[in-house]
Amino acid sequence: MTDERPQTAYAEPIANVGVSAVLRQAIRHRSALIGAAIVAFFVLLALISPLIEPYPTRETTCAVFEPPSPQHWLGCDDGGVDVLSLVLRGGRISMIVGAVATMIAIGIGATVGVLSGYFGGWLDIVLMRITDYFLVVPQIVLMIVIAAVWGPSLSHVIVVIGILMWTSTARLVRSQVKSLRERIFIKRAESLGASHFRIILHHILPQVGPLLVANTVLAITVAIFNETALAFLGLSDPTAITWGTIMEHAFDRAAVSSGAWWAIVPAGVSVAILVMGFYMLGKSIEDALNPRLEVSYLSIHGWKMRPLAGRGPDAT
Amino acid sequence: MRSAPYVWKRVGFALLTVYVSLTFNFLLFRVLPGSPVSRISRVPNASSELKDALIAQFGLDKSLGEQYLLYLQQTLHGNLGISYANRQPVIDNLVVAFSNTIPMVMTGTVLALVIGIVLGVASAVRRGGYIDHLGTNIAVLFYAFPTQFLGMMILIFFAGTLPSAGMSDPFAIGGSGWENLVDRIRHMILPVLTLVLTLFAENVLIVRSAMLETLGEDYILTARAKGVSRRRLIRAHALPNALLPIVTLVAMSLGTIVTGAILIEVIFSWPGIGRTLYMAVLKRDYPMLQGGFLAITIVVIAFNLVADLIYFKLDPRITS
Amino acid sequence: MTAPANPERVLAINDLNVWFNTGRGAAQTTSHVVRGVTLNLAPGDRLGLVGESGSGKTTTILAAMGLLPSSAEVAGQILLNDRDILRGGEQTVAPHRWKDISMVFQGAMSALNPVRTIGWQIAEAMQIHGIAKGEDARHRVAGLLDLVGIRQTGASQYPHQMSGGMRQRAMIAMALACEPRVLLADEPTTALDVIVQRQILQLLVDLSERLNLALILVTHDLGVVAQTCQHGAVMLDGEVVEQGPVSDLYRQPRHPYTRRLFEAAPDIRAAATRPRAAADTDPRQLKADRLLSVNGLTVSYLRSRTFKDYFRGRHQDALIAVNDFSLTVARGEMVALVGGSGSGKTTALQAILGMVRPVRGSILLNGRDVSTLGHRQWRPLRRQVQMIYQDPYEALDLRFRVRSTLEEPLWAHGIRTSAKEREALVAEALDRVELSPADQYLNRFPHELSGGQRQRVAIAASLVLRPHLLLADEPVSMLDVSVRNGVLQLLDRLRSGSEMGILMVTHDLSTAAAYADRIVVMNKGRIVEQGGIAEVVTRPRDAYTKALLASIPDPDPEAGKGDPAG
Repeated sequence: MTDERPQTAYAEPIANVGVSAVLRQAIRHRSALIGAAIVAFFVLLALISPLIEPYPTRETTCAVFEPPSPQHWLGCDDGGVDVLSLVLRGGRISMIVGAVATMIAIGIGATVGVLSGYFGGWLDIVLMRITDYFLVVPQIVLMIVIAAVWGPSLSHVIVVIGILMWTSTARLVRSQVKSLRERIFIKRAESLGASHFRIILHHILPQVGPLLVANTVLAITVAIFNETALAFLGLSDPTAITWGTIMEHAFDRAAVSSGAWWAIVPAGVSVAILVMGFYMLGKSIEDALNPRLEVSYLSIHGWKMRPLAGRGPDAT
Repeated sequence: MRSAPYVWKRVGFALLTVYVSLTFNFLLFRVLPGSPVSRISRVPNASSELKDALIAQFGLDKSLGEQYLLYLQQTLHGNLGISYANRQPVIDNLVVAFSNTIPMVMTGTVLALVIGIVLGVASAVRRGGYIDHLGTNIAVLFYAFPTQFLGMMILIFFAGTLPSAGMSDPFAIGGSGWENLVDRIRHMILPVLTLVLTLFAENVLIVRSAMLETLGEDYILTARAKGVSRRRLIRAHALPNALLPIVTLVAMSLGTIVTGAILIEVIFSWPGIGRTLYMAVLKRDYPMLQGGFLAITIVVIAFNLVADLIYFKLDPRITS
Repeated sequence: MTAPANPERVLAINDLNVWFNTGRGAAQTTSHVVRGVTLNLAPGDRLGLVGESGSGKTTTILAAMGLLPSSAEVAGQILLNDRDILRGGEQTVAPHRWKDISMVFQGAMSALNPVRTIGWQIAEAMQIHGIAKGEDARHRVAGLLDLVGIRQTGASQYPHQMSGGMRQRAMIAMALACEPRVLLADEPTTALDVIVQRQILQLLVDLSERLNLALILVTHDLGVVAQTCQHGAVMLDGEVVEQGPVSDLYRQPRHPYTRRLFEAAPDIRAAATRPRAAADTDPRQLKADRLLSVNGLTVSYLRSRTFKDYFRGRHQDALIAVNDFSLTVARGEMVALVGGSGSGKTTALQAILGMVRPVRGSILLNGRDVSTLGHRQWRPLRRQVQMIYQDPYEALDLRFRVRSTLEEPLWAHGIRTSAKEREALVAEALDRVELSPADQYLNRFPHELSGGQRQRVAIAASLVLRPHLLLADEPVSMLDVSVRNGVLQLLDRLRSGSEMGILMVTHDLSTAAAYADRIVVMNKGRIVEQGGIAEVVTRPRDAYTKALLASIPDPDPEAGKGDPAG
């Protein structure tokens, strides 16, 4: 198995070596670069949005559903508010909601996953039964119920998304840690006399790191989706400006039947581009983590005969 | 028999999950701070007899433990309370809602699955080729759009040409069975289209990476060495193995399907379970919300069990 | 099919070259992996292709099958009955694949499709090449399975339901499905038990004789070639450095590399009669020097209870891995624990290391019973016992530089000496494993070291704590043949003239005989025999020890020829 056949057929490529190495490998893909650029662009916009918003977001500056014009590039919404300003402001809050909810989810998921996978036994059984339950329960419905019971508020939305989204992370981390637990270098560290804490901190977490990074990036997309969905169902804070509430207001106030597509499209397309950016970035990291994807025995191209100069009848 | 322990284990787990959901449901609506304690009986404009009957049925004047037992008993008998909105039993509303939802969601899901498998396999086997680039890029694009956005865009584009609200034409009463069916199908087109666009992208991406991973396995090389043709290699060797992760991941995306269905029913005014839930939230119709939550959970658990059993059928390695 | 133009030569590999291109565009690099390999085979010929990892031996036979990845460029000829099948690329190779040349892949577990039955997979090959289908195919599958020694019911089994040896037999049956004339076997016996290995090799020899099959056997083990093949070819860095009849290779190797390979293969008979110092030690003194003393150790793994067990009131039944195991290791002594896979030898080692709790028995370490200690009580004691693992690449954290790997034990035990002292301890440990000057190695990552160096680093990391007892689990079986002796000699030197005792687990009786003072043989969880080297090797009492001895492939082709079983 240590037979190092240089990427010939049927050899498993060498396992990954850590966060930085994986990131370096991932960034070599064009899609990772594009994804990172998109995310960086949106983060920058969110940071400077108060400076570049052309109009105030809480005041009427034009007519109801006024179409795009040189003054209002993206037109106006049902209340006569400039859509461009709204979308810039909305992105800020949507991204904060997505990021905070994801942090909560990843934090819970990683903790549960590491504990469950590392210690095994009863702890594992109990934690995994809980995880299985949350996996099976339709989360959006649970979110609706919880949000409905608690009342609409942005912080409720964040917490609800966060505490319902951790399950897949926990599962993923657990299976990774469980297989790491069987690896010899972990066993060696244990037989060396290292404490569990030390092993988890120095050997397990660095190995799980890249997976967590990929998972976090991909989870943000889900969190942003969930925010827009909850907002659309009227369960978010109706006064907060997010991409979700912008679309909800537009739908509610008959933007569709008025043909005022400009009240919907900017927010929707923004979500799509940002999600695409996160997805491309996260997927590239994930793919870099999976060397199995590098080998395909069904590639369209086969090996080639090398024309040998100066040999045989084909000599030139 | 290798099947027995595994199947029983999965069925047991499904039943346990249903039980946990029942309990969770009970606690969520009665014990959580600020939750509407005993709201079950506050049906608007209800006669005092109905109120008394509900209080007796659910033991709302008794201790929490007794309430719990009564709740379990009533739920098992299908009594989920009375909806505030239309003063009908919740269970009757649910039956109607599900019978409206299932044809639409099933059609969309199956179509999305078929497209996902075809496009995913095509991308994987011609990896790096034209189809792969096109397939993955389209998939990532549609993956990135929120369902409600796709729905609204479709509404704007097709509002004039195809029916865009409800399940049937309210003015076409008395048509023949055939006409009614055609009307139904015409109404289904836009919601189903939205659902397919929402779901297929994720399926393409899942199938593609599952296939790619399988194509790197040594037994694929063995099969190639044996002289197995490309077509056969995909169909008889790679796909049966790649289906295993696909089944798992599709089962895990049931949540996405439910989300999509709710948003789509709201947008297209489809009188299904999703819209029922939405209306229940708007009208603070707690018995309906509670019943809907429970019903959806049980349906999802059931489909998960089906996925487990399919997985078991596909993978001879599972013994327990 | 054309009649063979030259009956004396069924397969000829002629000046074969393979290049691999890695990277794209400007960053593309090309490595020349196979360089001008030429091999000839007549029907019934068995050729052993020997080489270490990365020597290009597997690439050579994959090229002959036309199964190289798209990054490969090939030049040269593969002549099948004097017709070049390589000339037209994939198109000209494909018709001959499996039908004329077929292959037994390494690692049957991953090379067989897990969701198809063995019978299905064998019959598929027949169907594709139009040899047989339906009932006819079923009969042929049964015949093939019979030929390779698998029961009739094997056809309906899935790969995971078979043992490793059976899977490899099924793989061979599959390779023979289309009655090929040439069979290429890529390390067909790696990861198999020594005794099973011998059976599989015997099967290949029988088949080649009965079916007049030309066979190329790729292996890293010269002994295997000597015992199964008429010819051998030694590969080094993509080139065949020497080839000829196996007896010539053994008796008068011309290339220094061949000579080195043969020297690396331990000769069990010579080892058995080697005089050794430990034998002279006074037994009374040995007793006083006792470092480790295991008495009546029993380890069992509990099978988890199923629902059925609960209903039937059945108690957990245990799988006993180690049964009534007793052994001693004195200071400065090396004891070898020998057994096949599943014999319980590794479990016994794990119990001594305190990683597995025994059910019964005592483990006295420096006179203190450690068998009942919990995780916390064990931790400070871990300084005294250190373990060396089979695969150094797996045992080292790949993200750690050599320095961190060596300092880790110090941190773990709270030996927070000054940076200078740590440096000195680390340098000393590296010096003891002969990796000096230390500066050259301290900042390297494991992947920047050779296999032998990696194992030395792993040993050094164990030595930092100055343990009393070193446990070694197959310390060289994953290393290339040519570096094995170096590591074993190092272990030998480390314990002699020091207080440290070594308990080495190995499947290879000849390694044990060459380096240990005493041998303990285990089979099915029990010790079946123990004693001095000469005693165990020359006068084995137990049947299992005899079988083990018989299954060692001797590098001398003449050895064992008189043995009726060989």
